[in-house]
Amino acid sequence: MSKKEEVFKDGKRPDGRANDELRPMKMKVGILSNADGSSYLEWGGNKVICGVYGPREAIPKHSQDPKKSLVKVKYSMSTFASKEEHGRAGPSRRSNEISKVIKEALENMVFTEKYPRTQIDVFVDVLQAEGGTRVASITAAALALADAGIPMKDMCCGVAVGKAGDQIIVDLGKEEDNLGQSDMPLALSNRDKNILLLQMDGLLTLEEIEKAIELAEKASDKIHEMQKKAINSVYTEEPEEVFTM
Amino acid sequence: MRNIILPGEEISDQPMRLSNTYVENGKTYASVVGMLDEEGRYTPLESVYSPRPGDTVVGIVVDVRHHGFVIDVNLSSNATLPARDTRLRLEMGDLVFGKIGRIFPSGDIDLQDVRKLSGGKIFDVPTAKVPRIIGKKSSMLDMIRESTNTKIVVGNNGYIWISEQGNIPLVMKVIEYIVENAHKKGLTDKMSEFIKKHME
Repeated sequence: MSKKEEVFKDGKRPDGRANDELRPMKMKVGILSNADGSSYLEWGGNKVICGVYGPREAIPKHSQDPKKSLVKVKYSMSTFASKEEHGRAGPSRRSNEISKVIKEALENMVFTEKYPRTQIDVFVDVLQAEGGTRVASITAAALALADAGIPMKDMCCGVAVGKAGDQIIVDLGKEEDNLGQSDMPLALSNRDKNILLLQMDGLLTLEEIEKAIELAEKASDKIHEMQKKAINSVYTEEPEEVFTM
Repeated sequence: MRNIILPGEEISDQPMRLSNTYVENGKTYASVVGMLDEEGRYTPLESVYSPRPGDTVVGIVVDVRHHGFVIDVNLSSNATLPARDTRLRLEMGDLVFGKIGRIFPSGDIDLQDVRKLSGGKIFDVPTAKVPRIIGKKSSMLDMIRESTNTKIVVGNNGYIWISEQGNIPLVMKVIEYIVENAHKKGLTDKMSEFIKKHME
């Protein structure tokens, strides 16, 4: 029996989850005192930390846009993040690509035209990885932006959908990602479910994609609930109190 | 019940002009984390300071130029105090407070009515908490000033200046307490208790 058959035997997922079940999540906001906004996210075996600075003067000056703010994202994966060594922590082909797709997802959410000639820096560090770090990074970055008070059209979150063991599944783990048939990371805005990021590895039919996006939309509602709880927990040590100006 | 609102959540089904909100399809949505009370009033809890003419700001002189003084006012770009508008002789590092005069379409800001602050020191707080530090008709600020015998200037830009004399450690503690508890009700009463406790 090949490793592939072993992982997906009797039609079950390797960690025994239901097809639409997410891995356990933990979120926290405001963990870095020197950043304007920050967040920490644990999603299954992923551990992601995110800090946001700005809006501040864009550097170098020739990169300034007189009409809008620049969103600059730096995604980096630690050398010790996963089972296989990741080499040096500096920019690589992979991390440059992920920085770019996260940037493009966030640019659509932030009101960049409010702060001309500035930049908003988003730093995402993956401390531990277990499949789906780019979607975890977007989820964490949206939280950190909200914590920084940067005006946004909507909250957003990422979730991976795909196909493994001939089944459409949500939130692929490392084994399902590497040995499955297809992996499709998605980022969705919360209210309108606009697609901010869509990438795909492997093959899916049109019907399968439609089904996968439907599952992702349901999953994004669950993730948004968690994001909301994380922000709420900052303000609810004494739940009976009411604040009025 | 107070309700914590995340960006993108609906505040009202009517279009309204409020700060830190936006209107889409005739409905008003929040653009930053805020709080919605029973009467539907929305209060931002985290925000980036956006200057408006007439705001009081505290700043630090960072450059002296022929055309005027360049002043750091906790914004993404520095403000200027044009030399023709003032008789002050300022040096780099001087602390000042004043009002925001003109805001140019390019984003440049001119200050007016600037006065020098002698001695003391500056520190910064999140700008969304500034209204709470000042209180209703500056009730909170007056209380802090009286009970600690200090001179305080609070800028809308999140910079706060404290004079050298008076109980400075207490002021720092008090302001830290307000920033942490800014979203709670009856803060002025709690503050007077807090000050009493720490005066002894």
